[in-house]
Amino acid sequence: MTNSEYPTEYDGIVKTVQMYIDGSKQGKSELMRPAFHPEASFFGYAGDQLASGTQFLFDWIDKNGPAPKIEPRLVSVDILGSIAVVRLEVAGWSGSLAGSGVRMSDLFTLLKMPGGWKIIQKAFHWHV
Amino acid sequence: MRPELSATPSAIVLRGGFEMPERNTPQKTLESWKQIAAYLDRSERTVRRWEATEGLPVHRREHERQDTVFAFRHEIEAWSRLRTRCPREISIHEAESLPQLQPATNAYLVEHDAITRTMHCYIAGARAGDGDLMRAAFHPSATISGYCQGVEYSGSVDHVFQWITANGPAPNINPRFARIEIIESIAVVHLEVQRWSGRLAGANARASDVFTLLKWNGEWKITHKLFHWHNQ
Repeated sequence: MTNSEYPTEYDGIVKTVQMYIDGSKQGKSELMRPAFHPEASFFGYAGDQLASGTQFLFDWIDKNGPAPKIEPRLVSVDILGSIAVVRLEVAGWSGSLAGSGVRMSDLFTLLKMPGGWKIIQKAFHWHV
Repeated sequence: MRPELSATPSAIVLRGGFEMPERNTPQKTLESWKQIAAYLDRSERTVRRWEATEGLPVHRREHERQDTVFAFRHEIEAWSRLRTRCPREISIHEAESLPQLQPATNAYLVEHDAITRTMHCYIAGARAGDGDLMRAAFHPSATISGYCQGVEYSGSVDHVFQWITANGPAPNINPRFARIEIIESIAVVHLEVQRWSGRLAGANARASDVFTLLKWNGEWKITHKLFHWHNQ
């Protein structure tokens, strides 16, 4: 990757992750769906239960409702040609399923597609 | 060098046209020390030594002046496979290159070491060219994604096992852990792998792999493999 390509790819990745953040904040999965690859997977524990599948995520976001006070921070953005890894920390989660003051750590892996960067997997850890 | 894919399992999504390259038409024998050395991606001196001391199966044809050597590819592959073992019984060759690890007492290091063991199971399978050997490293619903010759492959991890077996041994892969990041129940591992070889990988290829892992039933399992082949 040349020096001029890096910021372009970085910005594209952040734009995709921002769609996830916007959907989370408003409690509307429709806002984040375009950020995900059609074959994307989703993994993590909600309590003792293993949650999997992007449909679970989208349903959860819609049922949880708005989480207006989430505080997202990008911890790392690593780009390796056509693939990327993003670690996102989100504090201040709230909502009908999240409860209040919850912190989540997210690991997103992304694939560069003709239409931009898409999330191919999201793994999360819900800090209790 | 461009990595190739052999077969296309139905679980794999293909985007874009893809003509199967007819490269690597099976050649059953290797007809000189040079070819044997190239196949194993080692020097002629090394493979001669392996024949003398480690039982590398090399045959000879008698001629008037000087015998010539040849080897059957399937015998070389079987020999190579035997020399690759899963992490719990790492071969002497590999053990020498790993630091001597005492069992960790620190809770964080215990998780780190467990993840490393899972990854070594993947590496052992890749080196041996045996997809079944690495199966234990993956979660049953694991998926893969990445580009091969400009075509995207996303789908079941079974494709990885098939590719690894079709590729055959890659005795000289040299994986380095660029990153092991653990967040309680999830982890990400970035592996830089050089000197990939084999029927599909070609020779001396380089890949960056990003694995996402989940601690599942007390064991670290790979849930996703994302790969990028570097152009040479």
